[in-house]
Order: sequence, then structure tokens, then C-alpha cells
Amino acid sequence: MTEKKVYKGPAGRAQSLSNSRAQGFYESIQVKPATAVIGGVVSGVDMTLPIPEAQVTDLSYALANHNVLFFRDQPELTPEQQIAFARNFGELHIHPAGPQENAHPEIFVIHTHKDSKLNNGGGWHTDVSCDEKPPLGTMLQIHKTPKAGGDTLFANMYAAFDALSDTMKDLLKGCMAMHQSEHIFRGRYSDRGVDDTGKSFPSSEHPVVRTHPISGRDALYVNRAFTTKLLDFEQAESDALLKFLFTHLEQPQFQVRFQWEKNSIAFWDNRCTQHLALWDYWPEERKGNRVTINGERPFYRM
Amino acid sequence: MSKRPLHEGKLDRAQALSKAPLGEFYETICVNPVTPVIGVEVEGVDMTSNVPDAQIEELGRALANHNVLFFRDQPLLTAEQQITFAERFGDLHIHPAAPQGEKYPELFVIHTHGNSFVNNGADWHTDVSCDKTPPLGTMLQIHRTPESGGDTLFANMYAAYDALSDKMKTFLSKLSAVHDSERAYRGRYSDKGVDDTDVVFPRNEHPVVRTHPVTGRQSLYVNETFTSRIRGMAEEESNMLLEFLFSHLSRPEFQVRFNWQPNSIAFWDNRCTQHLAMWDYWPNERYGHRVTIKGDRPYYRAS
Repeated sequence: MTEKKVYKGPAGRAQSLSNSRAQGFYESIQVKPATAVIGGVVSGVDMTLPIPEAQVTDLSYALANHNVLFFRDQPELTPEQQIAFARNFGELHIHPAGPQENAHPEIFVIHTHKDSKLNNGGGWHTDVSCDEKPPLGTMLQIHKTPKAGGDTLFANMYAAFDALSDTMKDLLKGCMAMHQSEHIFRGRYSDRGVDDTGKSFPSSEHPVVRTHPISGRDALYVNRAFTTKLLDFEQAESDALLKFLFTHLEQPQFQVRFQWEKNSIAFWDNRCTQHLALWDYWPEERKGNRVTINGERPFYRM
Repeated sequence: MSKRPLHEGKLDRAQALSKAPLGEFYETICVNPVTPVIGVEVEGVDMTSNVPDAQIEELGRALANHNVLFFRDQPLLTAEQQITFAERFGDLHIHPAAPQGEKYPELFVIHTHGNSFVNNGADWHTDVSCDKTPPLGTMLQIHRTPESGGDTLFANMYAAYDALSDKMKTFLSKLSAVHDSERAYRGRYSDKGVDDTDVVFPRNEHPVVRTHPVTGRQSLYVNETFTSRIRGMAEEESNMLLEFLFSHLSRPEFQVRFNWQPNSIAFWDNRCTQHLAMWDYWPNERYGHRVTIKGDRPYYRAS
């Protein structure tokens, strides 16, 4: 049995990270890797216009290769434009707790300012993994950025899984976890006038190792925000394993840190990434529109 | 699937702990449980005389059932008497690091006083689990006790194993661990005049779940003092798992705490227990003789 080092530095470890390096060649877009491990900066797309089929295909491959795509060359999109673009990749998702723009329930307004009580996604998470069918991906455009700060960190969960020992991988492959949202969402949007009395928040069981339906690769699928318990373990056992996994997957070598400019867009694959939004800019304002694409039920396939 | 919660005070947890051992019938000794989980006080034995075979057989059975035997009714044994008694249970073991008497290398003198740097076995451990064939059991008589303090805690590793989830049990049953004594022994006996330069301390691999050769029961076989690494796991994974297991197996519901009086004897089964010796009596003195019975190579056999 091999003893693979998780440590930074050794060549074996570096080789395992660079397995996730992009292999893609694209006809209709240009993609520049943001790091060797995760993230591609895309140019050549105009989201104000209908997107040609070839470009949708290229973007899908680029997303599969880089796990999160960044766009820095778009104007501020109208809700209709953003919704139309995102629909190329699937049906859109209505958030179970967030405040919605009345005319466009698919638009999730991201807005943090000096009167906010918290910001969205301040801890590592995948979006709404408490849902039975968590979103495939999320597309966020930030319209107003603070002078500095408000970066989002994205982490590659294939790389996090690859870095585990074979013994640990074998243990996790057979495991299911509980993802809950009551503790996250209850009262969360009260500062934006959402009354959640009488509302029940979703919870679901998902495999700890998730096979990506497109790439076929295995990703670690537990996150600090929603994952509360490993099923079939005693509480203390589950606590020890989850604490280790959260610490493991939050290591910097799996990450890219994206610095937003006005109208930057990030489009991430929720099935193989986690992310975290920094709130280091209070009392300044940060505002944007997010749309979320429906996904399927997570599964593990040997 | 086990639904047993680890939390204290739950009925099913209590029921699991109080599983009564089998073959609990003795003709030649009197056995009084100290806790329902581990440890009995034994009466009716005279270790200064030739102990009858029938009594040795029953003591062996009591040890298998209760994991540690306490004797409070013996006089101070001579080295010969203690060695003779212990040899009835197997060949005796020579400690790889501790100072040895010239006349009786089997005798391990336990002595802690105002000038000691360390006391023996202050962390949870099984004796010399770094050896390829760790001792079957250990018999310790304390001759001089401090006025108070110096208790020894013993823990039942069957119970610790039983309290894990089925999922964790299955996982652990496939693993082995490194038991390394360098970190435990290097320089440890320097205050007793032992020079360990160039000594190579033992290091061996054992299964994480150990099947007891007599009872056939599974017990948790990693300990804080010697177990340094789970094989086949990255170091951080191994650290996490060991940290959890060490914390799990040191829960009070698996333990008995033995308060020594002068000439008290404890005789423990090293294959299914761990113990810890408190050093809460400095600068007072504690003195005794330990002999250790050779054991076999730990193995795991699926039940």
C-alpha cells in the first residue's frame, strides 16, 4: 500500500496536483489558467448576445477542465441577459432561503454593506448542498466592488480527494453524509426583510466522494457549512473525520483566490469545487447578481 | 448498524458496558468486582506457598474475564516468590530499557522519589507494545506507597472497541500501526544510571484491532505512548485517527482506578488493557517490584 504524502513540497504531491491541469484546446474561446490547479480566465465571449452553440460547448469543456471560469471583459448584464446566458447550461434554480428580485425569481441578489449582519458564503461551502439535487453551477457577476477586498476563494475538490491516502479514499468511498441547512439559513436573511417563520429548510444525504457526471472523476463532497454528520458513525468518530476533512480540503494548494473588478463574472462548477467569500471590506458595499443552474442528485460510481 | 450513542448516561450504552463475562464460577478463589467493566479483587491465594494448579487455572480464567486482578492480602513477596508465582503463567520477560538487578534480570524495580525525573507509565499504554511479542501480562507489587496518591488506572480495551460504530470497527480491522519505543525510552532511565547511547529501541507493527488468543474477543490495540503511526495513511490522516482513538479509549466508563496500599498487587492482562500510573505524590516515594510475562505476536482474526 502506498503512503502518499499530503505535505506541500514533495514532487509526488506536486504531480498529483498538476493532474488537474487543463488539457483543453478551444475553437471559439481563449482560456488562460489562473493557477495550475483551478481556475481559467476566459475571453472571446459576448454575453449580451445569444451565445453560439460551439461556444456553449467550449465553455462546458473549459468548466470541466478548470472548475471555475472567470470573465473580466463583460459589461454589466441585465437580469434577462444573465438568465439567458446561464440557461445555455441548464434550467435555473430558485434559492430556498435567499431574497429574490421580484421580477426575476432566478436572480439571487448578493448585497453586503455597512448595515449587513453577515455576508453570504463566509465559510467554505458548495452552494445549497443541503438540497436533494444541489445546483450544477453558479454564475455571479459583481456590479459594485469595494475599493479593495471582497475576494472569493475557490478550491478544487478533485485535488483534495487525490491528495488523500488510498486507505482514506477507500474508507470515504463507502460513506454518506448528512447536509443540513437549518443552522445556516434560519434567520440569515432577516436583515433583508425575509420572514422565515414556519419555514422548513432542506436537508439531504449525499455521498462523501462524489463522481462528477461529466468528467467521471471523484471529488471530495463534504463542506464545513452544510455537512453535519457522517452516517453510520458514532458522533465522536464523525466529528474527528469531518474536522480532519475540512482542514484537509481547505489547504491553499487546492485554491485560487479571485479578485473581483467591476462586472467581473465567476462561473463555477458546484460539483467539484468549494468556495468562500471574504468580508474584509466592511463598511464598504459589494453588490451583484447570481444565477444558479439546476443540478442532479450526487452519486458515487466506482 | 450500531445505533449506540457514545454519550454518557444512555441506557443502551450502559447495557453494552455491563455485558457479564462467561465462565464466572470459581472454587478455589474468591472474586469481587471493583467495577462492572474491569478489575476484581481476588482473595484466597497465598503467593508465598506453592500455589495449586487448580488455583492457577482459575486465576487465568479470572484474568481473562476481568482483565486485571488485584490482591490486597499478600505479604511483601521476596523476588524469588514473585518470580516463581509469575512463572506459572509463562516465561518471564527482560525489559529492553529499564535498569536490571544483577541477580534477577526479570525483576523490574519501580521506584519514584524526590529526585526522579519521570515516573514510569504516566501516559496510557500497554507494556512494551513496541516489542514484536509484547508481554502477555504484568504483575506489580508496591512495597512502599505515598501517604496518598500514586493510583494506577486500568482501562478495558474490549469495551473501548465495542463502543465504536460498526463502520469504524470494519475500517480499523484492516489496519496496522507502528509501535515505536525510541520516543518513549530514549534517556528515560538516565536518572537511574542507564546510559542508552547506541542502544536501538524496538519498533514493530501490530494490528490496530487485536484478537485475544484466549477469549477470542476483539480489543483496540493502539496506545498513546508507543503507537506513532497508522500504516497506509498520510501522516495527517494517521494523526487524526490516532488522536480520536486515544481520546476515545481514555473515556472513564472503560476504567477502574486502583488505590494501592502497602504490598497490594495488580496483575493485568496486557493484551486487552491499558494503564496509566499517576505521579501526584512528589516528593514522596513509591517503590515496588514488577515482573512481566512473555506474550505472543498480536494478530487479528475476524470474529
